[in-house]
Amino acid sequence: MTTLTTQTAAVGLTAPVLRHTLTRTDLVRYAGASGDFNPMHHDEVKAAAAGQPSVFGHGMLSMGFLGSAITSFAGAGSVVDYSVRFARQTWPGEELITAVTVTALRDEDGSALADLEVRLTNADGEEKVVGTATVRLASGS
Amino acid sequence: MADGSTLEELIGTRTAVSTVVVERGPVGFFADCVFDESPESRLPSAAAGAGLDGIVAPPTFPIAFEGWGRFPELQNEAEQGPGMMAALAPLMAKGGLILHGEQSFHYHRPVVVGDVLRGEGTIVDAYAKESKGKTMTFVVTETVWTDAESGNPVVTSRFNIIHRI
Repeated sequence: MTTLTTQTAAVGLTAPVLRHTLTRTDLVRYAGASGDFNPMHHDEVKAAAAGQPSVFGHGMLSMGFLGSAITSFAGAGSVVDYSVRFARQTWPGEELITAVTVTALRDEDGSALADLEVRLTNADGEEKVVGTATVRLASGS
Repeated sequence: MADGSTLEELIGTRTAVSTVVVERGPVGFFADCVFDESPESRLPSAAAGAGLDGIVAPPTFPIAFEGWGRFPELQNEAEQGPGMMAALAPLMAKGGLILHGEQSFHYHRPVVVGDVLRGEGTIVDAYAKESKGKTMTFVVTETVWTDAESGNPVVTSRFNIIHRI
């Protein structure tokens, strides 16, 4: 459901929160979907040999999940800019929680745009991904 | 550790030239895997209803372009660069850890199923920093994707790798 439009947009508006508890199966599926077969994300033996406590999530899976919070809020195909920093690794069993907030509204070349602050944390509030996005606003109610 | 001059010389290196096709199966499966439930990423009718030119890819899908849509007959072998390995191989040979530090996508229009896109990747920045006795090397690659037919810009991706040793 699109909830961010030219009618509803306001600075401070927040997107519905998405939550997902990460599983090893999620990592295997994302490896296939993305083509990233770095063994740190699916091979427990190699991850342990590299000194990691377990396999860990692809940064791009975190960015992808956070992106889903943006598209469910502003609409598929609405993203103009999406830029993040990967702050920490994600681990199987962690609950990942999205936070998306409108920080500015502006017009550019006749398009109504909204700037967003985006953040993915775990249940303890530890930041995994932080960044910004800009979306083109759908007109409507 | 590559010395400063070697790193600087990396800037401007063409990493890869690819032509890719955006297909329905990979787009829908990618959406599943990042928990994006948008019907516009799966159904032609939903995409058309939203005024899109086709089934739309999730915003981070360009990371999967080459894994899924880089068919050999569309590539011009004479154009091929050394790939990211030009930058990564000397770093990996020293051990340490390679991390994905930052990532961005800038869209000129949505990417939709049926698109044939041409991507040119370039190393746009490379530098090293000392921090707490460790050497951090940063390599930033930018890939500019254009519509293969019209040449119009579609999406630009920036990929920032950190090597720590």
